[in-house]
Order: sequence, then structure tokens, then C-alpha cells
Amino acid sequence: MTDQLGALTTIFTEFYYWVTVVLMFLIHVGFCMYEVGASRYKHHQHTLMKNTMLIPLVTVTWFFFGWWIYWAFPTGPGIAPSIMNESTALITDESTFSARWYTAASEYMAINLGDHISGVFWAAFLLFSWTAASIVSGAIIERITTFAFGILAIAIGSCFWVIDAAWGWHFDGWMLKILGYHDAYASGVIHAIAGGFALGVLMVLGPRIGKFSSSGEPRNIGPRNPWLVTVGLFLIYTGFWGFYAACNIPIFDLGPEYGMEGVTYFTATNIYVTPTTLSGITFNFLMSLSGGLLAGYWIAKGDPFWTYSSGLAGIICASAGNDLYHPIQAMIIGMIGVVIAYKLHYWVERKFKIDDAVGAVAVHGYAGFVGLVICGFVLNGYPSSGYSVGAMWDGTTYAAINPLGQFLGAIIMFVVLGLIPGYVIAKVLHAMGKLRIPRDVEIAGLDYEMMESAKKDERAVSSATR
Amino acid sequence: MANVTNWIDHLNKPAEEVVGAVYPGAGGSEMTLVIIGVVLWLGWHVLTARSESEELSRLSRKRHGPNDHKSNVTEW
Repeated sequence: MTDQLGALTTIFTEFYYWVTVVLMFLIHVGFCMYEVGASRYKHHQHTLMKNTMLIPLVTVTWFFFGWWIYWAFPTGPGIAPSIMNESTALITDESTFSARWYTAASEYMAINLGDHISGVFWAAFLLFSWTAASIVSGAIIERITTFAFGILAIAIGSCFWVIDAAWGWHFDGWMLKILGYHDAYASGVIHAIAGGFALGVLMVLGPRIGKFSSSGEPRNIGPRNPWLVTVGLFLIYTGFWGFYAACNIPIFDLGPEYGMEGVTYFTATNIYVTPTTLSGITFNFLMSLSGGLLAGYWIAKGDPFWTYSSGLAGIICASAGNDLYHPIQAMIIGMIGVVIAYKLHYWVERKFKIDDAVGAVAVHGYAGFVGLVICGFVLNGYPSSGYSVGAMWDGTTYAAINPLGQFLGAIIMFVVLGLIPGYVIAKVLHAMGKLRIPRDVEIAGLDYEMMESAKKDERAVSSATR
Repeated sequence: MANVTNWIDHLNKPAEEVVGAVYPGAGGSEMTLVIIGVVLWLGWHVLTARSESEELSRLSRKRHGPNDHKSNVTEW
């Protein structure tokens, strides 16, 4: 870099994403605390390890192929032509944003003095990937094998969510063009898909022993540690704030980008490269959090577990359009999402005997789905992109945001890329006898041998005289 | 393996030669590293799946009750 302004812009952007990555790490700290707080004592250590090991597994697979998928798949392939090369094939040509540069063997996937952005951008998306896998992790605690969860974590974290990101989040994604899909802070791209995936796995995995009485009545399984749950969810809120920043491009000159001759307009943009402000989304983040907390406290009658989770669900529901909403719209949308998610959770639990241990399907899946649909109505008519705005279905221009497109997008996220793959992979693992831990182990507790060994050590140490 | 042996010489090169990969083995070792990485990743699954299966089978055979773990709660 020899031009001072260019260097400052580049290094500011590099540092900006790096900070968001560090902030988003707190999401995972929060998820670990939350899961341990929600699990029973005899399963604690395995629960913790299950969630922790998704970090390296998703990271290495994200390096090997996940990042490549994001850059290769925006066209479908075969659904809508790329604005970069006008082809509907996988984007692997010589164009600037081609997947060619992001194979694991690429020299840009390492320290490269000509590239200050790829690594931090890769890491920001990686932290989204951990989140997707971690959402699934909470729902299935206390009865899944670590092996099976590792496979499922890789599937959702390094494969399926990134396909939906290529389709509905990438500036060249076919869902933007054909459906007018808009999901600025990932109501669907991360949350609805992960919730749907978790539901698919739960349908095969089955409930924890004792969750339902012989007459089918659900029971609350405790004890839980409310303090770990509390701190965990506060950390997830904090990391989510970093996630919002990570979904933006911090500084971008849109004039030349949109082909406007002589126009210079520097701004922050959302992931679709349309203008928003970090200031504005801060309003909306906090107001949707507040809406969620208010509604959750009311509908759950002050239950702390649901109230905290509802704060998260409120943000998730408003996230699709939080780049453009008014703060009070964000608050109301957050409230609506929480009420629907809460009601649906208990209805599904009773009707289908689904044991979602932490309410992940509701908080992420249902709230995310509802958020996408609401966004279609509230932002109806806004352009889904700054590039060549056009009509739905024509495939070469970008359709405007609309209710039908958002509804179809929600189905794609929750069902097509979430529920169905989760169900199928869980079925395969089940057929291999690798999905669920043995019944006697579930009753005894996954940590039994660790605890027994620790007790022996304690006795030996306490009776020692030297 | 060193890709740069003198930073002054390196930064004095034409701009297009300065910007580029600087890690050891740049430009020739990447595919080998990827293959090694994939083998390590898949090998980890095989090894840990085997040990987990053994652990679960062993514990399953002992048929502990739902409250037996309470006698193993440590106080330290």
C-alpha cells in the first residue's frame, strides 16, 4: 500500500472486522455457559466438551471447504446469472470475488502482504458458523454422542448455512435477484436455518428419558443453574452486538460501486452493499432486545429462563430488517416474534413430543422465520440491492423486497436447508447406531466415570499424610 | 524454506512483487499442507469415535442408577 488514504481505509476495515471477531467470541463463551447451566450435573462436562469441540471442527472444515462454498454458490448454481461474469455456473473463474481465491490451497488463505481483508472476513463468517452449530448443540443436550454432534456441527456450520448465505446474503445471491430476499442481520440465514436443522435432528433423536410422562405430559427437567444461564445469555447478547457490526461493511464509496459517474458517497453498508449506519442499527438492536424482554417477561410470567431467551428472540425476529426499521418498529416486531415463538414451542412440544432442551428451535427457528415474513411486509418495495433493480423472477436484475419472496425465503431457510438436511443426516447416523448414547449411560450420566475418578482422587488426597 | 531473507531488499522490489504470500513454502507447499490437514481432521474423527464407543459401552455395562452419581460428587 503506497497511497495513505487507501492504506487507512484498508487497515481500518481490517481492524474493524478483527474487533467484531473478538466480540463474537463471547457468543460462544455464552453458549457454553448457557448449555452447562441448562444441563444436569451428571452431564455437565460432556455437555461442555460437546459444544467446545465444535470450535475446532467447524474452523478446520470452514478453512478446507466452507469459505469456498460461500464464494462459489451465489448463482445456485443454475438459478440466476452472476453480475460478475453473467454465468449461472459455480463462480470459480478469474473474477475478483471468485471462489478460486478461497480454496484451502490458495495463497490468499494465509499471510499475504497484498490482502488485508480475507482473513478477518473469513473469521467473521467463521464465528457465524460456530453460532449456527452452537444453536443446534443446545437443543440436543444430554443424549447425543459427541461423534454425531461433530458431524452435524460440520454439516450445519460448514455446509448448509453457508449455502444459504451464498444464496441469500451474498451481494450476487440468486435469492436477492429472484425473490427480493432481504435478511440484513440473519433472521433466516443463521437463525431460522439452525432452528430448522435442530428440529430435524430432534425428530430423529427423541426426547430425554423422563421428559414426558406415560400419558404424554411434558415435564420440566432440572436442576438448572440460573446464574450460568443468565451470564451466558448476557454474553450472547454482547457477542450478538458484535455480530451486527460484523454484518456491515464499515466504509464504502457507493458512487463508483453503483456506476454513478462523478458521485462520491462514503457510507457504512449492510452485507448487501446498500446504505445503513452503525448508529441506526444500534437503536434497533437495543429496541428489539427490549421488545423481546418485555414480551418474554409478560408471556412467561416472569420466568427468567424464557425472559432472557426472549430478549434474544426479539433481536432475532427484527434482524432481517434492522438495517432499515424504525426503532419502535423493531421493538414491536421483537415482541410479536417472542409471543409466536413461545406459543409455538409449547404447542410443538405437546403435540409432537419434541424435547428441545433450551428452546433453541423456538428462539432461533420460529422467531427467525416470523422475522423474515414480517420484514416482507414492513420493507415491501425497498430494493434488495443497489445493483440494477428490477422485477421478481426475471433472474438478471434484483427484485424488490416483498412478502411472498420473504415467505419463500423463510421456507428455504427453515425447511429446505435446515429441517430436511438435519433430519436426513440424523437418520443416517441413527441407522449407523451412532446418534444417541445408550439408555443406561443416559440414566447414569455421561460424566459418571469422570466423577467416579475424581472422587477416588479426592479420597486418596484427603487421606494422604505426605 | 524462508520466503524473505531481507526485508529491505524485499520492500525495494517492484510493488507487484512486494505484495504476496510470505509464509514458508509459499507457492509450492499449499496442496501438501491441505492434504496433511484433511488427514489429521478425518483421523481425529476416527480416533475419538472409537474411544467414545468404548467408553459408552463400558459405562453402559455397569448399569448405574439415576442417582448413583451423587455418591461421586466431590467436595474439593
